[in-house]
Amino acid sequence: MKKTPVDNTKDNRFELLRELLLAEDREKFESLSKEVIFREKLAKNVSPLMDEKILDLREKFPEYFGDTITETIKVQIRDSQDEVVEALYPIMGKLVKKAIVSEITKLTESVNKTVKEKFSIQEILKRFFKGKKNDADVVLQEVFEPIIEEVFIIEKDSGLLSGSYSRGNIADKDMVSGMLTAIKSFAEDAFSKEGQDLEDIKFETFQLSIQNFKSIYIAIACSGVLNATFKEELSDRINNLAEIILRDRSYLSDEERLNTLIFQKLIEE
Amino acid sequence: MIAKKVLLVGNFGVGKTSLIRRFVLNEFSEDYISTIGVRVSKKVVEYENETIKLMIWDVAGTSGNEKIPKAYFLGAHAAMFVFDVSREETYLTIDENLQMVKELSGLQNITIVGNKKDLLTQKELNKVIEQVSVNIDLITSAKENDNVEAAFMQLTAQTLN
Ligand SMILES: Nc1nc2c(ncn2[C@@H]2O[C@H](COP(=O)(O)OP(=O)(O)OP(=O)(O)O)[C@@H](O)[C@H]2O)c(=O)[nH]1
Ligand SMILES: [Mg+2]
Repeated sequence: MKKTPVDNTKDNRFELLRELLLAEDREKFESLSKEVIFREKLAKNVSPLMDEKILDLREKFPEYFGDTITETIKVQIRDSQDEVVEALYPIMGKLVKKAIVSEITKLTESVNKTVKEKFSIQEILKRFFKGKKNDADVVLQEVFEPIIEEVFIIEKDSGLLSGSYSRGNIADKDMVSGMLTAIKSFAEDAFSKEGQDLEDIKFETFQLSIQNFKSIYIAIACSGVLNATFKEELSDRINNLAEIILRDRSYLSDEERLNTLIFQKLIEE
Repeated sequence: MIAKKVLLVGNFGVGKTSLIRRFVLNEFSEDYISTIGVRVSKKVVEYENETIKLMIWDVAGTSGNEKIPKAYFLGAHAAMFVFDVSREETYLTIDENLQMVKELSGLQNITIVGNKKDLLTQKELNKVIEQVSVNIDLITSAKENDNVEAAFMQLTAQTLN
């Protein structure tokens, strides 16, 4: 089954992610501060009776509205789980990743066990000769083949795009590189100490992995299920590619040549 | 084609986003939607027979001497400091603010732009210019499309220095 390339022109996912990360907070803050200012004005100008009422309201706010608010928040979180997860991902990234990886490993182990018990000796022999892939990987891989959708080689500091590969149709690679770098700067600045880099961003069916080098970073968007073998192989290839580029930096100022190299080293091989 | 990263900074609400919007899309809106974090736009310009791809970083406005994350400045080739000619608090401490931007960015020259020219009479404007302690490069109006192109051309020129 051939997969159709992902079309990114319709919406700018990075923009979306950014808005999700920040828009609501700012909005809520603004409306809250407006409300507070309004209350304060009211308290000053209206009769003492109103004052009293407001004071009473302020003091007993949790008592009057606590339950309602708790309920509302619960409902909101439940109804927008996807958004919550997406917005939190960069922040929680590493923690979540760890948890997920450990869960998946457990799952894989149990699938392995089942598969081992059920599959015939011939199947097992066949798989044995296929190499180091384990049973669950084989099954998963046939269903969700991992595919490299986009590759970006980006100057770390400026966020300027040096080279790229794209299987489908991406909105505007320069903009994506810029926004990605901006998100990276923002996330790294806001949530982590120096020396820690943002490594993974996930949205919808895309998984974006970032590999950091001294003066460039390489971002790769993949679709499908990324099993350990694929990841390992990809990581090796990325390292090779980076080595070539960093040894001959003229690649960084020759987009076409770099694009060809990316294709050769990551896609073709 | 060469690519350059440029940055717009300044107090909140001075019109950074509006200037970029006017320059890139030739549009203007009276609505104020405060920028969150940073937003990146792109425009290809011609300057002295050179085609330059400008990646314009629109940084969320600051207030007082609030710091801009240093990461945003990394690798920037030029920066524009925007103030609002109709709001004193956006230019009274311009000296200090500029110094901070220079330190963070490592850039020597910053393009200094006073925006919202349309809100003042020439007389009022002269008074503002007198009050501002540094050399203003350009006085603009994003609303009336006055000097916006020139301001970005000056910024482009600085990327080549
Ligand atoms: N009259 C007038 N209004 C302007 C001009 N430029 C911007 N504005 C208005 O000023 C307000 C703020 O403009 P923005 O461009 O959002 O300001 P900003 O500097 O990006 O603000 P932050 O993102 O919060 O830092 C908006 O309501 C604009 O319509 C101008 O040249 N003249
Ligand atoms: Mg803005």
